[in-house]
Amino acid sequence: MNKYDKAWQRLAAAARRAAPERDESAPYGFSTRVAAQAFGEERRAPSAFLRLSLRAAAVACLLAVAAVAANYSAIKGAFEGEPAVAAADDPVAEVVDLGS
Amino acid sequence: MPDDQSFDLAGCLDRVRKRDQVAARDLVEHLHPLVIRIVRAHLPRRVPEEDLAQEIFLKMFTRIDQYKGSVPFPHWVSRIAVTTCIDQLRAQKRRPELRWADLSERETDALDAAITGENDVAPDDALAARELVQKLLDQLKPEDRLVIQSLDLEQKSVAEISALTGWNPTLVKVRAFRARRKLQRLYRELTQSEHP
Repeated sequence: MNKYDKAWQRLAAAARRAAPERDESAPYGFSTRVAAQAFGEERRAPSAFLRLSLRAAAVACLLAVAAVAANYSAIKGAFEGEPAVAAADDPVAEVVDLGS
Repeated sequence: MPDDQSFDLAGCLDRVRKRDQVAARDLVEHLHPLVIRIVRAHLPRRVPEEDLAQEIFLKMFTRIDQYKGSVPFPHWVSRIAVTTCIDQLRAQKRRPELRWADLSERETDALDAAITGENDVAPDDALAARELVQKLLDQLKPEDRLVIQSLDLEQKSVAEISALTGWNPTLVKVRAFRARRKLQRLYRELTQSEHP
């Protein structure tokens, strides 16, 4: 063993003496967090049901938008209050007019 | 949590494979001392030990179905811990070359005492010696560092290191030899940089 090897051994011995005594048990909540994360990652892959549900929701949204677009004028009229137009289109009003 | 003697590891593993979260928590608590010892011994700079321990446990759960029982489960986990630490050490930039001027006064005292061998390193300088040892270890390749640290600081045998890492004993000895040679070179360079 040369002088450098001996020097390393002396330094290592001194370093061992300075090794701090530390708690080795898991910190509070650590195991719960790790277990939840380990099993949570598996749940992250979406199931077939979830995928279909998401598609169904998207299709429903598109249909809703299309329905609003197709009836835009009627909806707009209802909100702007066009009683004349509404009355003209109203079959009940027409029958009443004929009777009078 | 059950103590080491009464802990039913096989039963716990079965329950973990069935995705029992309580069993997973028990397993983490049971193995934490083993994992944290490895992490603390081979922790790269600026990496929180809890983050590294968590990464090791998550890898363990991901690969748990691959465990076939050819080695004891704690050895299998310790190998995951060792490879994770080595990967982290590889990822960090190696420290720049260590020079005498980089050492604190206490570290130079500790190094002087170690090289001249006239006195043992003083107890007051033990902490400085530990820091100096870490600086020297940081200059080694991660695998060589792990071997020399396990041999000389943790005083493990070659067989224990072989079981811990999965490397064969000859490879462990080769790495120890290589690490010692590099340490000798570092000493020489350090002392030369003191008197250029």
